[in-house]
Amino acid sequence: MFCIVLNKSPIFVFQSTDMDIQNTQSQMRKGVLEFCILSIINRGEVYPSDIIDQMKAANLHILEGTLYPLLTRLKNAGLLNYRWVESVSGPPRKYFVMTDAGKEAFSVLLQTWNDMANAVSLLTQSSTPNTEA
Amino acid sequence: MKKVININFQGRILPIEEASYETLKQYIQSLRQYFDAEEGRDEIINDIECRIAELCDDRLKKGAVCITEDDMRLIIESIGRPADFEAQDGFEASASTSSSNAKQEQFSDNGNDSQKRLYRDEQNKVIGGVCAGIANYLKLDPLLVRVLWVLLFGISIFAYVLLWIAVPNTSTTQIGSARKRLFRDIDTKVIGGVCAGLSKYFDIRVRYIRLLFLVPSILLVFNWNHFHLFQFWEFDDFPNFIELTFSPSAVFVYIVLWLVLPEAKTTADKLEMRGEKVDINSIKNTIQTDMEGFGKRAQSWGSNMYNKTQKNESQTTTASSNAVPEPAQRGGCLHFAGRSITILFKAFVYFILGIITLSVLAALFGIGIATTGLLPLRRFILEDGAHNWYAYAIIVFFIWVPVVGIVTAIIRKIAGIKKANVWVRGGFWSLWALSWIFIPLFFATLTKSFSKQNEPQEEVYALANAKVNYLEISAQQKLKYYNHYWLKLEPFNFFDSDTVYVRNLRIRIVKATSDSFEVKYVRISNGKTVAEAERLASKINFDLNQQDSSLFLDKGIAINKTDKFRNQHVVMTLAVPVGKRFKITNRAWEQVKVSVNKKGFRSQTGPNIDFALDGDNSDWYNDSDAFDYDYDVEYIMTPTGLERVKGQPSDDDSENPEELKSRLEELKRESEKIENDLKKTWEQKQKEADEIKKQLDKKGDNLNRNSTKKESTVSDNVKAIAFGFDAIKLLVSRFQS
Repeated sequence: MFCIVLNKSPIFVFQSTDMDIQNTQSQMRKGVLEFCILSIINRGEVYPSDIIDQMKAANLHILEGTLYPLLTRLKNAGLLNYRWVESVSGPPRKYFVMTDAGKEAFSVLLQTWNDMANAVSLLTQSSTPNTEA
Repeated sequence: MKKVININFQGRILPIEEASYETLKQYIQSLRQYFDAEEGRDEIINDIECRIAELCDDRLKKGAVCITEDDMRLIIESIGRPADFEAQDGFEASASTSSSNAKQEQFSDNGNDSQKRLYRDEQNKVIGGVCAGIANYLKLDPLLVRVLWVLLFGISIFAYVLLWIAVPNTSTTQIGSARKRLFRDIDTKVIGGVCAGLSKYFDIRVRYIRLLFLVPSILLVFNWNHFHLFQFWEFDDFPNFIELTFSPSAVFVYIVLWLVLPEAKTTADKLEMRGEKVDINSIKNTIQTDMEGFGKRAQSWGSNMYNKTQKNESQTTTASSNAVPEPAQRGGCLHFAGRSITILFKAFVYFILGIITLSVLAALFGIGIATTGLLPLRRFILEDGAHNWYAYAIIVFFIWVPVVGIVTAIIRKIAGIKKANVWVRGGFWSLWALSWIFIPLFFATLTKSFSKQNEPQEEVYALANAKVNYLEISAQQKLKYYNHYWLKLEPFNFFDSDTVYVRNLRIRIVKATSDSFEVKYVRISNGKTVAEAERLASKINFDLNQQDSSLFLDKGIAINKTDKFRNQHVVMTLAVPVGKRFKITNRAWEQVKVSVNKKGFRSQTGPNIDFALDGDNSDWYNDSDAFDYDYDVEYIMTPTGLERVKGQPSDDDSENPEELKSRLEELKRESEKIENDLKKTWEQKQKEADEIKKQLDKKGDNLNRNSTKKESTVSDNVKAIAFGFDAIKLLVSRFQS
């Protein structure tokens, strides 16, 4: 898939390949991750570490350190909202929910994704036999 | 055994090992740095802190006694370090382009061996590979760099060793070690971030590094050999406290490092900048491993050199064996040239600004030292009590407070404290403002203690041998306390421990009525009251000592701590008989200066501290004729006044002898004319008188009674005319002489 956990290791550094791959990959991941997170929150009120867990279950790895800035940014953009929920032990926790604007944006993104996925799968399927042949 | 502390972290009480607490603190600091530009920075960090606290709490609930270092490491790894965020890029909408650019550069570095970064060249090294590395970096011939290095830095190997230690060698890039690297730290920079980077690298506080660079530059200003402006102190005893020479290498080293070191741009850079600890051992190891086979390398380099020079001789066109393609070299050079010009310009501006500040500081400092140096004299002028305190207050508040203020500001700048402390600054300013209250107070009280003057009384000094033909007035060479270019407190000539001698004396020259020299003098003093002035005047001990034709003056007027200096002075009148000569030597009293102008004579006299005088004795001061003499010139007293003895340097302003002669002749002619006129009138009158007499005789006895009366009146008339004639004659004779 698109999302590959990048540890800062020289293994990933393609010494001889074109550098544009790096850029392309990061662009892809960026769009998709935001979309993934929005889709998780769309299902209902959620705690950030639950998002991590759910993504992990879907074999998508994301660091909490990158999740929090992303959530803050989406919240500042008006797509998300949060509310404090009392916990059994310790201080209240921040739970994130989708706003109306967020829902709207999500539906647009979903539409785009479906179109893209179709297009990409079509293209990749047609390209595979070419290279084999 | 590990120390455990309790912390209140995001609303939870956590027992945590001290070491892991430190790790946590550093981690959060690194986050803070990473998200510095982010809009919701505090919120993000708060969220992450909450999460960390929660994770810690989970661990404690599972039965852990405290948060160990391992726990903390795992937690941090699960959340991720800033370096990991960067690797897992593409999340930052705003920073995505810039970060990807930075990445590109980094990758191009790795691909295209050390285009941007400075490494020590392992392959071509002689000692540590620093020069070879710089040559590679600048795309220059290593030989050129080595020669320049030696020329610029001479034997100062400081910079070389510094770079040797700090710059990684090429082998480390291949293996990919976790070594610390030297960067310029642009986050905490003052000028170029060189010092900040060095401090990060060596784990030394940045202020020490800055001092290390700054001190040699400051010494340039304080080295008074360079600036004659500050060489006002001619006093041997006075400590010449800063006598160190400026070494330009510090500035050069700084500029070279500025040019050569990369900025710590990315988070990876910043982490690398801190990196693992560098201690003596690791430095030693680096140097030891590097120095292996130094002898061999030196030999081979020598033979290489020999070969190269031979090659150069044979083919002068392409001397350097530089493998780098031409365009890349040119681009690198241009880039480097542009950068070095801006950096040099910046360095120059900073240098000038620094010099200006330091000059102001040095000047204030000099004045402060001088006035503080004058403090011993204070007790001869100032009264005890308030007066004294005003003087202290002025010196402290007016001079030393600004000095300390500027020094503090500089130190704060070095220490990297950017936030201004309002209280400290306000304190300095208000103290300085306070001094403006003391200055008028001080001068008001000072003038008051000089306000009154005693009634001058002329006294006579009996000369041992008054009948000499020639008298020379002089004194011993006086000691100078101050150079005359600076702080002229001239009246103080001799300076003992508790007495100063003031040679505050004026000499009038008048014509003597008898044929012997006469000396009269007036003792004058100021004081707060007339009584005090009288007392001080009576204490003036004016003593002369005549030896043959020399008249020696006393040391001066003694002033001690109880009888303060209140402008005590003596006006001495030297009466010179006609036809006798005298000379006053200049070294006797430098503070009496006489200047002659054409309209009359004006004497610039006495002490530099000039105080108002009561009008009583203005004669002594306005009698300008009596002060009309020059020093070291022999004069002779004539019936008409002073005249230079022949062969003596002439007074520029006086007429030359020929003019004088012609004037004299003119006067003579005039007087003759008057004489003739007088004679004529005299004869006329006599004739008239004769005729009257004849008429009277004729009338004879008839008018006897009346005639006697008339005769007497006429003879009175004649007598008066004769007297007038005599007077005119005398006048004429005067002119003639």
